[in-house]
Amino acid sequence: MIAVELRKLFRRPRTWVTIGLLNALPVLVAVLMALTDLAPRPGEGPAFLSAVLTNGTLYPLAALAIVLPLFLPIAVSLIAGDAVAGEAQAGTLRYLLARPAGRTRLLVAKLVSVFAFVLVTVVVVAAVGYVVGRLFFEVQPVGGTALSGTSLTSADIVERTVLAIGYVAVSMLGVAAFALFFSTLTDSPLAAMLGALAVLIASSLLFTLDAASSIAPYLPTRYWLAFVDFFRDPILWRDIVRGLGLQAVYVVVLLGAAWANFTTKDVTS
Amino acid sequence: MTGNAAVIATRGLVKRFGAVRAVDGIDLDVREGDVYGFLGANGSGKTTTVRMLLGLVLPTAGTVQLLGGPMPKAARRVLPRVGALIEGPAAYGHLSGRANLALLDAAGPGGSRRTRRARVGTVLEQVGLAGVGRRPVKAYSLGMRQRLGLAGALLRRPELLILDEPTNGLDPQGIHEIRDLLLELHRSGTTVFLSSHLLAEVEQLCSRVGVLDRGRLVLQDELARLTAPTGATVVETPDPQRVRAALDGRVLSLDGTRAVVRGADPAEVNAALVAAGVPVTGLALQRPSLEEVVLAAAGTSADRVDAGEGRARR
Amino acid sequence: MVAVLLALPALIGALPASDAAAPAGELRARALASVDVPFSGYAQSAGGLSLPVGNQLTSAADLLSDRTTMRAWYRSADDWRVDVVSATGETGVHRDAAGTWTWQYEQDAAARTEELPLALPSAPDLLPRALGRRLLSEAADDELSRIGAARVAGRDALGLRVVPTDEAASVSRVDVWVDAARGVPLRVQVYGGQTDGGGPALDTSFLGLDLGTPAASVTAFTPPPGADVRFDQQQEDLLDTARRAVAVPLPATLAGLDRRVLPGAPGAVGVYGRGVTLLAVAPLPGRAAAGLRVTLNRAPESVIDGRGVRIAAGPLGLMLVDGGRGGSWLLAGTVSLDALAAAAAGLPPTRGDR
Repeated sequence: MIAVELRKLFRRPRTWVTIGLLNALPVLVAVLMALTDLAPRPGEGPAFLSAVLTNGTLYPLAALAIVLPLFLPIAVSLIAGDAVAGEAQAGTLRYLLARPAGRTRLLVAKLVSVFAFVLVTVVVVAAVGYVVGRLFFEVQPVGGTALSGTSLTSADIVERTVLAIGYVAVSMLGVAAFALFFSTLTDSPLAAMLGALAVLIASSLLFTLDAASSIAPYLPTRYWLAFVDFFRDPILWRDIVRGLGLQAVYVVVLLGAAWANFTTKDVTS
Repeated sequence: MTGNAAVIATRGLVKRFGAVRAVDGIDLDVREGDVYGFLGANGSGKTTTVRMLLGLVLPTAGTVQLLGGPMPKAARRVLPRVGALIEGPAAYGHLSGRANLALLDAAGPGGSRRTRRARVGTVLEQVGLAGVGRRPVKAYSLGMRQRLGLAGALLRRPELLILDEPTNGLDPQGIHEIRDLLLELHRSGTTVFLSSHLLAEVEQLCSRVGVLDRGRLVLQDELARLTAPTGATVVETPDPQRVRAALDGRVLSLDGTRAVVRGADPAEVNAALVAAGVPVTGLALQRPSLEEVVLAAAGTSADRVDAGEGRARR
Repeated sequence: MVAVLLALPALIGALPASDAAAPAGELRARALASVDVPFSGYAQSAGGLSLPVGNQLTSAADLLSDRTTMRAWYRSADDWRVDVVSATGETGVHRDAAGTWTWQYEQDAAARTEELPLALPSAPDLLPRALGRRLLSEAADDELSRIGAARVAGRDALGLRVVPTDEAASVSRVDVWVDAARGVPLRVQVYGGQTDGGGPALDTSFLGLDLGTPAASVTAFTPPPGADVRFDQQQEDLLDTARRAVAVPLPATLAGLDRRVLPGAPGAVGVYGRGVTLLAVAPLPGRAAAGLRVTLNRAPESVIDGRGVRIAAGPLGLMLVDGGRGGSWLLAGTVSLDALAAAAAGLPPTRGDR
C-alpha cells in the first residue's frame, strides 16, 4: 500500500513540476546576486543570504531560508491537501476503499508518501542550492564562519547543514499534518490546501502581535527559523528542541483527528 | 433458486442524511446465482444503498451481510471477492489504463503480484480494451472509461459483481457486448447485482428484481413471477365487436383492433373464435410488462417535486 | 489532551516557589557577592521605551525599545561573552582582560574596544545579573523591602524591591528576583513614568540558567579569517567629542543630586546621582546638537521652553539645553522632567568647539 502511494506520488508529473518551480526562486536569486554582486543589507532578507557572496557553500541554507516562509509551505500543503481530497474529487477514493484498501492503511500510506515528499523536496532544494552556490559564488576551501564568529571546518558545515535540513523537514511535517487533516474533511483538494495555508498565515500574523504573545509559543510557525540556531556556536538547542516538540504535538494531534474523522466518515464522493 | 446461499442480505437498512431518510428500512435478499436488477428512479436511494453494501457509507440503522460477512466489519475479508462499479468509473488521468489497473490491484489484498500482469491483460481483453496501448486515461472516451471501470471490477474474478449503471456512456453495440459479457460471467457462476434506472436493461438481463421508491423497497421478486401470464388472452382482430358477440361475458376490454379475453389457453380461445367465424390476425397470452409492474408499485418519479410536497421533502 | 498540553507550561509556571525568610539587606549582600558565580544562560529583555534620538545612539536606543534575546557565558568579571541573538544573525560581545571584541555576523566584522571609563549602555548591561547588581549596589537600606518569591528560569527566586527616595527620581520602583541558592539576580523589572498598561518600563529575565563554569573556548574570541577587523568607532567618537569640548567646571550638585567621581572620564562629562537615580551631563558640539534638536522638536510629547527641549520615555528623561556660543548640553538619565529643568538651570554655558 505504501509502495503504491509512493509510486502514485512520484510518477505524477505534477509532483516534479511543483519541486521544479520551488527551486526556481533560489536559482533566480542566485543568478541576480551573482550578476549584480549585491547582497541584501545586514538584518534584511533571508538568513545567510548576505553571507553567500563570500561563501557559496552556505547557499543550500540560503535557498531553504528563501523558500521557507511561503513557497515550501505552499508546495507541502498542495501535495498533502491533495492526498485524500484529491482521490475523493477524482472518484478514485471509493474504488480504493471498495478494493478494499482499509481506511487506516490508506491514511498511513498517504501520510508516509506525504512525508517522503517533504523530505525529497527539502533535500532537492538544498542540493540545487549547493550546485548553484558552487557555480555562482566563491567557495572557501577551509569552511566558513558560524554566526557567532567562530570558524567552522567544511565537515562542520556539512554536518550542521544536514541537521538544519532535517529540522526544516520536521517543521514542514506540521504543515503536512494540517493539510492532511483538512484533506479528510473536504472533497476539494484546493480547500484543504487553502485551509492549511490560512492556518500558517494566521500563525505568522499572530506571531508579530504583542497582544498574542501569550499564545505565541504554540503557534505552528513559531520556531521555523530556529534552523539558523544550528549555525551558532555553541549550537542554541533551546528553540530547536521546542520546535521539534511543538511539531510533534501538532503532528500527533492532527493525525489523530484526521484518522478519527476519516475512519468514520461517509464516502459519498 | 431461493434455496441458494444469501449473497447480499440487509435487515432494516436505514441511512439518514440530516433530516432526509435517503434509505428507509430496506431488506435486500440477493442469492447465489442471481442476476439481480435493482431498479429505482434517480434519487430513490440506489447509490446510497450500493455504498452501504460496500462499506463506503455507514448505515444509520440496520445490518448488511455481504457474502456471509457483516459489513463494514468484515470488509477486508469479503470485499476482495466483490467487484464493483460505483456511480461511474474513475481513474488517474495521467496514467494508462493498464497502469491504473495495476495500481488498483496492488492497493488491496487478494491479488497476487506474480499474476498481476496476466490478470490485467485478461480483463482488458474481456472488456474490449486489449489494444488500447499506453494511451493515458484522460484521452479515453466515456465508453472506454466505462469499460476500464468494468475491467477493474473484474480484476480479481469476483464471486459477486455490484454494478451501478454499467452501460452508461456506451453505444448500442457496446451495451450489447457488455450484456453478453455479464451473461457469460453469470453462466460461469458469478452473482450479479445490477443497479439501474433502465427498465429494458434489467428486463433483458435479470432473473430477480427489487424496486426502490423514495428509500423504500416496494417490490422484490422473481422477474418470471412478476411478468407471469395474467390468465387472459389478447386477440388481434379487424372486427373486435364480433369477438364480444362470440365470447359473451369473457371479454375484459376492447381497444381498437385488440380485445382482451378471459382464458389462459389461446388454443381454446382461437377455436371458439374460429367456430364463430371471427377473423383472427394474432393471438397471445397476456403478460404484464416490467414497466407496468414498476409503475404500479412505485408511483410518481422521485425527482418530481410537486407544490406543497416540496417543503416536506427537503 | 490538547487543552492539557496547552496548559502544561502555565501550570508549571504557577507552581508555588518556596520562599525563604531572608531579610532584604542580607539578600542584597548575597546578590552583590554573586559576582564570582560563573554561569551560562539564556535571557530576554523587553523594553517599552522609545526615545526619538535619530541616527545617533541607535544601538543604545534599540536596546531600550525592543525585545532583545541574549545568550551569556560568564567565567569571571573579565572573562565573559554575551551574544544578542536575532533571527538572521548575531552580535557577540567577548570580554577579556584588556577590553572587548564585538562581533557582528551580518557585517562580517569584529570590532576591538579597549576598556573605557565610560560607555554607552550595551546588551551585556541588560543581562539581569548585571542590571540587578548595578541597581541594588547603591540602594540604601530604607529603600529596600522583600516581596515574596517567584520561579524564574525554573529556579526559586526571592524578590527584592527598591523604592528610590530621591526627589528627582523618575523610577517608581525596581523589582529584582535573586536566586535563592546562589544570589544571582534572575529577573529585573523597572517601573516608572508613563508606560502602556502600567507594565514595567524594562523587564529582563533569565529563561534558562546553568550555574556551572563554561569552557574558556566559549568565551574566547579570534576574528575569523576574511572578517573586517577594526576599532569601535561609535564609542570612541563619543569620548572624542567629550574630550574635544573644553572642560567647563561642572557644579558639584545638580537638581539635588551629587556629582560622582569617575576616574579617567573626560572632565567635560558629569554624572550625578546614586543607585537607580542617575543623571549624565555632556557637552554636545553644534553639529550633533542641531540634528538631535530637530528630532526632539518634532516629537509630539516633547516639552519646549526657553532653556531647551526635554522629553520622557518611561522613567528615562532626555534634555537638550542651549548652552550658548553654538554649543549645547545633553542631559540624560532616570530623573523626572522637573528635575531635568532644575538641572538645566544649574548648568554653566558651554564653550563650544575648540
